[in-house]
Amino acid sequence: MIKRSGLLLIALLSLATASQASMRMGDWGMVMNENSQQLPQGCDSIASEQSITVKAGREYAKAFPGTIFGYDQHTFSFPRCTRVTVNFINEDQIRHQFMIHGLPTYLHPQGMFHMELYGEGEVQGTFITPNTEETYLAHCDVAQHMEKGMKAQVKVGGGNGDLPSIPGVSGQLNKDRYPLDLGVQNMLLISLLFLLGFAGCLFLYRRNKK
Amino acid sequence: MTFKMRLFSVPSLLISSIVLGLVAVLLYDPSLVYARFFDYIGMPAYQEAPISKPKPDLEKITVCDEQYPEWRKAYTIGGIDIQASDACNPDNPYEVAAFVRGTNNVIMPVLMRTQLADDAVVKTNDIDGDGDPDDIVIRVEVAELNGRSPDGKELIPGYEIAPGITPGAWVFAPKSRGMATVNRLDLTANHLLRLPSAPIRVEEGDNVTLILENTHYFPHTIHLHGVDHSYEYDGVPQTNEKLTMPGGQQVYKIKPRHAGTMHYHCHVQVQVHYMMGLQGLFIVEENKPNNWVQTFNVGAGKVRKPSQGVLETYAQEYDLHYQAIDTSLNNLIQTSNDPRQLAKRMNRIYDITDGTDDYFLLNGRSFPYTLRESLITVEPNQHTKLRVLNGSPEILALHTHGHKATITAYDGVDVNPLAQITRDVYSVSPAQRIDLDLYTKDNGVNSYGEGVWLMHDHSERAITTDGIAPGGNISQIVYRNYLNKNAMATTQGEDLSAYFNPEYYQGKLATWSAADPFGFFDDVAGAKISSYKEVLLIIVLGVLFALIVLLFVRLFAGVYTFFMKRDNKQ
Ligand SMILES: [Cu+2]
Ligand SMILES: [Cu+2]
Repeated sequence: MIKRSGLLLIALLSLATASQASMRMGDWGMVMNENSQQLPQGCDSIASEQSITVKAGREYAKAFPGTIFGYDQHTFSFPRCTRVTVNFINEDQIRHQFMIHGLPTYLHPQGMFHMELYGEGEVQGTFITPNTEETYLAHCDVAQHMEKGMKAQVKVGGGNGDLPSIPGVSGQLNKDRYPLDLGVQNMLLISLLFLLGFAGCLFLYRRNKK
Repeated sequence: MTFKMRLFSVPSLLISSIVLGLVAVLLYDPSLVYARFFDYIGMPAYQEAPISKPKPDLEKITVCDEQYPEWRKAYTIGGIDIQASDACNPDNPYEVAAFVRGTNNVIMPVLMRTQLADDAVVKTNDIDGDGDPDDIVIRVEVAELNGRSPDGKELIPGYEIAPGITPGAWVFAPKSRGMATVNRLDLTANHLLRLPSAPIRVEEGDNVTLILENTHYFPHTIHLHGVDHSYEYDGVPQTNEKLTMPGGQQVYKIKPRHAGTMHYHCHVQVQVHYMMGLQGLFIVEENKPNNWVQTFNVGAGKVRKPSQGVLETYAQEYDLHYQAIDTSLNNLIQTSNDPRQLAKRMNRIYDITDGTDDYFLLNGRSFPYTLRESLITVEPNQHTKLRVLNGSPEILALHTHGHKATITAYDGVDVNPLAQITRDVYSVSPAQRIDLDLYTKDNGVNSYGEGVWLMHDHSERAITTDGIAPGGNISQIVYRNYLNKNAMATTQGEDLSAYFNPEYYQGKLATWSAADPFGFFDDVAGAKISSYKEVLLIIVLGVLFALIVLLFVRLFAGVYTFFMKRDNKQ
């Protein structure tokens, strides 16, 4: 298991030397594997330009019970072959990232476009959407940030469905279990629904007998 | 017809069942009926005990899973002399250089060989003009290990303390950059995220700004246990400071006036947060000229750039952090992804007074993984400094085979040299630190000579991994003559590779399987039908079962007819 932890180091090293891979880094954070020029396969030209703002912080977790971190938006949609400028804003006093995975590896080493801020701040980065209908994962990979709400999806050309556990969009595959609310209203509703099923079944049985 | 009816009447069925039952017992073991049975009929025939199960076909696991053997040699990076390391998996020398120089003072290619954030360790201003920086800013984050994912069963980021053993944990880690896992497919934690919380080193008199950046989903603080600090920076929610919430920061400013081996830990819900792993060594090194100290020692163990003060007396230095894990606390973080549920289960339902420790760690691993990182390798006639922290909730009774070391300091305060005690079991209370001088002079007291010597907690539960030994915090003191090219000790004892199989710690392998060519102690295969008596016994049991079924049918029919008759009468 430890063996593989070195791979990232090697990858980072090769990124530093590879000519196509771009890297901006400082005490503010880093932007890695940007692409503002090279056309994805199947794109004749840049079809359109878009710019978005992504805000990250604990503030955006409030809307989704059980999360701690979040983005101000969890689904981003772009047409194909579009140059997207991301304005990434970190409102917390800790590190956050906006990292898109699964992009073409000939444009982005490891298929990854990576923006990271070491604390409060703002940075811009650019990528070009491929000529596909695909939904890409965007997240913060600080330990447990994605799991606790910092997860989004980027739909290119309409995308190909939703990813799991996107706050406000899709449910968990490894589901959390919660005890039942024993309040009057909830219990009444449960009893009513249960009775409906029970009585309905008996009614049908009697009608059949006759 | 009538004869048949009588044969299957209730009384006859009952009697046949009892008789057949007796026959079955006699066939199984007559001495159960009458103890001296064999005195009358002669000795029972020889019946072979079941054979042993075949020895399991174990995957051959490399004892040393080396990744960067070249990192073992001595380096000079950015003017910093980094000692050689004998560990199977040594610390990354470029990372050590970045910790010593400061991430702000190393060139980009060095920083790129690490996964540290640019502002992780910022060193500036030689105020006293003694050749080393005196304004030190250290940033630590809080990382979870083996946590839950809403997307699948795999734990994230993954961290094994021993083969196949992945308890939940929290650690203080140097501020890093990039992904917490190796990549999107391999969810193993990157090497900076590991147990124990990284030992921190500063120099006496430095202006240290320690910044806690709470990247975790619960509130935390840092309490600088034993380190000279003002009340303002005590890190205690009940007295001096507010909780540092997720996404927030807390700044601790200290200028320690006293050098020694100290401690730092979170002081929020200590019975939970301390035991989850938010505890580490905090070492204040003596103020010396040109004293560039190694700010973090990730994974503890060998300090590859010891301070000037240490090098005056010692050839080398090791940080030894002992801790324990109660899975009924630590694995709670794997039960839900909702921090509200976790907070309740950890703080209000889990009861540490009912807790029992299951795993025992030295520098974040249990045996045999301790062999890959935590061997203490020595030469004869050498002084080695050991800084020992007991982060477990019970007393540590550390025993060094073949050596009696001298306790030179308790809790960061030197022991009067005339009163120093030399012994082979060192008792360390919870949260206590001792400094040991391990002197390898072959004089029958300090050392009994060269070899491979075990080192472990002598509270016997601590040499196990959830009750299975050898496990727990066992490690070795190895004379370098005994080291082989795989960075392991060549021993005269048994092959250790069996212990690298997860099955061993699941209790699925016979304890001495690998060391027992005769198979004397292998697992026993199941008993097979091997005599005419056993054949007969099974047939008799079959008949008996049929009789009992018939009996029930008859009884039920009787009861049924009884009620039918009563109904008809009415
Ligand atoms: Cu984040
Ligand atoms: Cu805490």
